[in-house]
Amino acid sequence: MRLMVGVLLIALLGGLFWWGMRRDASALPSQLAQAQEPAPDFALPTLKPYQAEWGETLTLSELVGPKPIVLNFWASWCPPCRRESPMLEAAWRRYRNRVLFLGINFQDGDEAARAFIREFGLTFPSGADPRGRVGVDYGVYGLPETFFINSEGRVLARHVGELSASQLEGYLRQLLR
Amino acid sequence: MSLRRPALLGWMLAIGLLVGLAFAQNSSPPPDLSSRVYDIARELRCPVCQGESAAESNADISVEMRRIIAEQLAQGKSEAQIKAYFVQRYGDWILYDPPRHGATLWIWLSPLLGLGLLGWVLWRYQSRLRQRAQMASAEVPEEEIQRLEAELEGPKPNTDR
Repeated sequence: MRLMVGVLLIALLGGLFWWGMRRDASALPSQLAQAQEPAPDFALPTLKPYQAEWGETLTLSELVGPKPIVLNFWASWCPPCRRESPMLEAAWRRYRNRVLFLGINFQDGDEAARAFIREFGLTFPSGADPRGRVGVDYGVYGLPETFFINSEGRVLARHVGELSASQLEGYLRQLLR
Repeated sequence: MSLRRPALLGWMLAIGLLVGLAFAQNSSPPPDLSSRVYDIARELRCPVCQGESAAESNADISVEMRRIIAEQLAQGKSEAQIKAYFVQRYGDWILYDPPRHGATLWIWLSPLLGLGLLGWVLWRYQSRLRQRAQMASAEVPEEEIQRLEAELEGPKPNTDR
């Protein structure tokens, strides 16, 4: 009986240790995604390359509705963003009839951002958030971060860090359901 | 050469001044922020740093957080309202002094619980020891005690030798 209790206790503590070691201590739950809250609205100046097609300001509340939105925070100074961008662009080209991809250029310089867009040939529109005010509104703490917003304008999910193609597929399925 | 030296010195001075100016602009807080802004920022985490408050950090996001605090103070918002603004976006995690309710209550209570558990285990161990000692002395037969006492008095002188 005592042996049983001992073994159980050690297994419990071992399990707790294992769980603690495996979890990312820096990961934060998204307040928005947890309660599926309405995505905070923003009106940001559209980056130059997209102004002809999208106008001078990108306003979320004007874009919500017809299609669900994939909102990606990126910056030219963020290495994982460089790895993620080609995959995002490919997904945008495949899904553009059903999903709107929006970029938010977070705390970046205009020149650097445009060089980044040229380098990866990004065709989904991005707005500039040089001070990061919109980032604070979304609780951003590490780039890249991607928010999945449904047609009602609610945040269904948030992904921190680089997205893989299969992860993005999973989120898009959730969004298009 | 001697003619050039003042020019070189002048250049060095100018560059030094520029570099100094650049550093001063990067590291010193914007002059228009009041100490109240820093008092509030000190109780909020910098979201992108490890173990730094929004007051100490010079990360762009902390600079923006201080700007938001200053703006909200100017709008007449209270400290609690400003903190609530950040909690709404980042959760209780953003506070250096998390509230004592819900899941965080366990963190506050766990040292007390641990101390209580330790006391209980020690008390049980003690009482078991005492019980065993009493039982042991009750179980020893009378003649055994007599023999032991005799042995303690020392060996009897051997008359055979």
